Amino acid sequence: MERLKAADLGQIVTGAFLLAGAIFLLVGCLESSNFATYTVQGVGVGMTYGSLALALVLIYQATHVINFAQGELAMLTTFIAYQFTKWGLSYWEAFSVTLAIAFVLGTVLQVTVIRPVQHRSVIATVIVTVGLFLVIDGVVNWIWGGQFQTLPLAFGFSSWDVGGVFIEKYYVGMVVVVLVSLTAVWALFRFTKLGLAMRAAALRPAAASLAGVRVDVMLAIGWGLAAVLGAVAGLMTQASPLSSLDPAFMQPVLVYAFAAAALGGLESPAGAVVGGVAIGTFLTLLVGYVPQISSDLQLPLAFAVILVVLLIKPSGLLGRRQVERV
Amino acid sequence: MSINRKQLGALLCVVVVGIAVASTAGAARQGTPGVADHSITIGGTFPFSGPASLYATIAYAEQAYYGYINKTQGGVHGRKIIDITMDDGYNPSTTVTDVKKLVEKDNVFAIVGSLGTAPGLATWGYLNKHQVPQALLATGDAYWGTCIYQAKIPQCNGAKPWTIGWQPDYPAEARQYAKYILSHQSKPKIGVLYQSDDYGKNYLAGLMAGLGSHKKDVIAEQKYTSGSDPAGIQAHILKLKQAGVNTVVIFATPAYAIAALATEGGLHWSPLTMLNNVSANRLFMLAAESKGAMPAGVVSSTYIESQTTQPNLPGMQLAKAIIDSTHNNDLITDFNNGDNNIVYGFASAATAVDALKRAGANPTRASFMHALRSLNETGSNSNPFVYPGMTVKTSATHGFPMQQLKLEKWNGNTHDWKSFGSVINSGH
Amino acid sequence: MRGRLPALGSLAVVAVVLAVLPFVLSDYNTYLAAEVGIFFVAVLGLNILTGYTGQISIGHGAFMAIGGYTTAVMSRDHHTNLIVTMLLAFAFCFVVGLLFGLPALRLSGAYLALATFALAISVPLLTDQWSTYLGGTSGVQSSETKSNLWIYGAAWTASAVLFLLAWLILRGRVGRAFRAVRDSEIAATASGVEIGIYKTLAFGISAAFCGVAGALYVMASNGFAQPDEFSVLLSLQLLIGAAVAGLGSLWGVLAGAAFVGLLPNISTSVPVVGNDHGRDVVYGLLVILVMLVLPGGFAGLLARVRSLVRT
Repeated sequence: MERLKAADLGQIVTGAFLLAGAIFLLVGCLESSNFATYTVQGVGVGMTYGSLALALVLIYQATHVINFAQGELAMLTTFIAYQFTKWGLSYWEAFSVTLAIAFVLGTVLQVTVIRPVQHRSVIATVIVTVGLFLVIDGVVNWIWGGQFQTLPLAFGFSSWDVGGVFIEKYYVGMVVVVLVSLTAVWALFRFTKLGLAMRAAALRPAAASLAGVRVDVMLAIGWGLAAVLGAVAGLMTQASPLSSLDPAFMQPVLVYAFAAAALGGLESPAGAVVGGVAIGTFLTLLVGYVPQISSDLQLPLAFAVILVVLLIKPSGLLGRRQVERV
Repeated sequence: MSINRKQLGALLCVVVVGIAVASTAGAARQGTPGVADHSITIGGTFPFSGPASLYATIAYAEQAYYGYINKTQGGVHGRKIIDITMDDGYNPSTTVTDVKKLVEKDNVFAIVGSLGTAPGLATWGYLNKHQVPQALLATGDAYWGTCIYQAKIPQCNGAKPWTIGWQPDYPAEARQYAKYILSHQSKPKIGVLYQSDDYGKNYLAGLMAGLGSHKKDVIAEQKYTSGSDPAGIQAHILKLKQAGVNTVVIFATPAYAIAALATEGGLHWSPLTMLNNVSANRLFMLAAESKGAMPAGVVSSTYIESQTTQPNLPGMQLAKAIIDSTHNNDLITDFNNGDNNIVYGFASAATAVDALKRAGANPTRASFMHALRSLNETGSNSNPFVYPGMTVKTSATHGFPMQQLKLEKWNGNTHDWKSFGSVINSGH
Repeated sequence: MRGRLPALGSLAVVAVVLAVLPFVLSDYNTYLAAEVGIFFVAVLGLNILTGYTGQISIGHGAFMAIGGYTTAVMSRDHHTNLIVTMLLAFAFCFVVGLLFGLPALRLSGAYLALATFALAISVPLLTDQWSTYLGGTSGVQSSETKSNLWIYGAAWTASAVLFLLAWLILRGRVGRAFRAVRDSEIAATASGVEIGIYKTLAFGISAAFCGVAGALYVMASNGFAQPDEFSVLLSLQLLIGAAVAGLGSLWGVLAGAAFVGLLPNISTSVPVVGNDHGRDVVYGLLVILVMLVLPGGFAGLLARVRSLVRT
């Protein structure tokens, strides 16, 4: 009973707040067609932010490292998908192959580059991910840079006319695909032995290892999964006809993902996704309705969000406060 | 035996000095920088990466043209042209360091054909101070022609005699669009989308000047920042639509122009749309169509030949031959699909070679600038790649090499531009 | 710099080398050496924050931006002497650093890193908001530009002065407090150290140093301040420099500064990867390699070498 009082009060308040927000959105959509267009867009891009944010959180939960290269890795896998379409594969064939490659890439990176430094120094690990950022960026620019290229659109560019409201098919598609992948990952963690082992390895590595779990293998698999989620984020960002397949395209998304992860709490997977959707809708609505705010302000606004949230609740909206007992 | 710190320090000292001495090898050169017995070295900065990387083919085309001159004519006055290109990512601060390296380390003879208004403005002070030609900038900013002889406007920040542009300038182009709108739209309600820096502002100023007393017909303006996410353009276009405009003028770099056209299509909205010519490349229009744009009727302008609509002109046949000889499949495919920036690159490089030839058998930076300020590519000396009948001319009183335009309209059936009307003198 | 000034011999050697260098180097290489000096100042500052109080910042490029713009704007509008602008940058950034350090007290580890990341990205974007005064993407041009030699002199003189300042700060009570905070916040509090004051002070000092570095950085870019000069990449460079430097050694900071100042410029001449992108790849690989091999940075390597040499 005691535990329910303090920490969970924060959770309940946040939950109520989110519920209120959801109701607000729903009512708004029914009232105004512009609102509905913005909301659909906001939820669509928000889901891609949430997917990348979840990748960040997965890695952070397991290794307490923020992977600065997560966005670039997602971008790399998107370019790999592009290359497959150039070699003749259909979009969805390329999509599937890319997810598999992303998994392998993630595990390989963890084993070769992260594992050696992980235990020695936090700052060294962070710098390694920064180095990865630079390497991946350079490699992609080297191979595909300076060329004009477009990825085939996953869902085309048309929209449904629902009683005067334009609902773009691709935003709906983004939401569906991300939801499916999130559900798959959740199911993996919740219902399979592998998932159980991975959770144990992340939360209680010493005890898990005693119970026979290969902790280092679990961490590698975690990175692989995060890379898959990142690939989904990258590919779905490109599902919007307005995106250009440019090596820098994931950099703003990484920033929004950071904002989402900070908002939801770096230790909370659900928080990351909810945070992503919240940021996506908030920014889209703000830009749509406040004339002084142009879409170029979205990035600094996302930051303002990070800073404000962290000041009020340093462990994020859905995160638990870290209490250190001396 | 132990080494104490002093000795360690001394050892390091020797190593450092050694590296320093080694690195200065070949630093000082005699004579005009960049001019050697059998080669002449020029340099330029281009956006091979970044928000304007869709312009990268201009650089490849310029290099291909110089290669063609080297191969068929042995270069200029027996000197092969070496062109060092650097990637500044359309980022003015990178341009500053790149240009410093080109001038101080690579000792280039001149900076030729660099792309970008903001990059150009970031470096023109330095280049003019060090008296290095900043020639044939691949941007239409009006300052490149206005500030040559004297500081006519405060933005010149002093006269810039070492800087010269090439293409018809942006304000002149925008004035033509204003004229077109006034003569084709009965009750114009104009919305403008423009880039927030000097590039976009240059266009906007020209549009306003061209509208004259009809300035108030511009009822909505939306500016975007270069480097921002192109998907953000959707919000800008939506706001123009909500303001009730019936004419949209787009002054944007390609990625953003494509997003704007795609958004119009996505909204099933077809206002009269004017598009700045640097983003009107056929490749970009095709890309916009693949993203849902319905650009039939979009109006833009041109001043160079089109390899897709005028393939039989001698200039276009020459262009095809040069491109094929590069054996660069991506470039060849781009050319065949109508990438007009390649023709632009050839045209500009042709003027550069023309000026290098007229700079004399022992060119100096001053003689090169003199040649650039007395261009006369007319009649039998015409630039093979510019629109038939157009000239490239400068004089002691006139600093704009190209001052003519032809309007064109996008044809949704042929998926290409169709020029109309006569050659317009957009001059100053 | 464990409160112990390196042997006068080493310092003298460094001073002599620095004095002689411009006469031996080409003009362009003098410019590169000046860049190393600029990074020396910045890495020195960041080291005080990250190395001595354990607060990770991926945002000190923002303080360089503030310092840089201070110089450019003062020079453009008031024709202020450039050296004076450096002092102004120091003072202004010190205050801003303190202001940021205060709320940052509530954050730790990854959250602080995120908050500083937010700072790094937001500050350059502010120039667009006040674009009439701060120029936006068109940037701000100072009224005067200086030669490469002048900048070399200014950068290394500033380095010497600030190095001395850092030494004075770190050897005293403040330095001991910093180290106590880094080693164990709990123990420090128990011993009566007001952690909040010292952590905030560290932010202020490191920001002030980076402000001076930013002023010099703008001067080295033909006096041109532009938001993209201070992108997140710059903040990452500073962090890389601090990590490569490691803790507690003058030579380490020199190594870190040389690493981030020279490496991106030199690797173009590496034959295999002669283009710009190859250079980024090589640089990134080197960063990873250095961290894998030397997680304690160059200072860690020196410590190991010293202990080997003594036996």
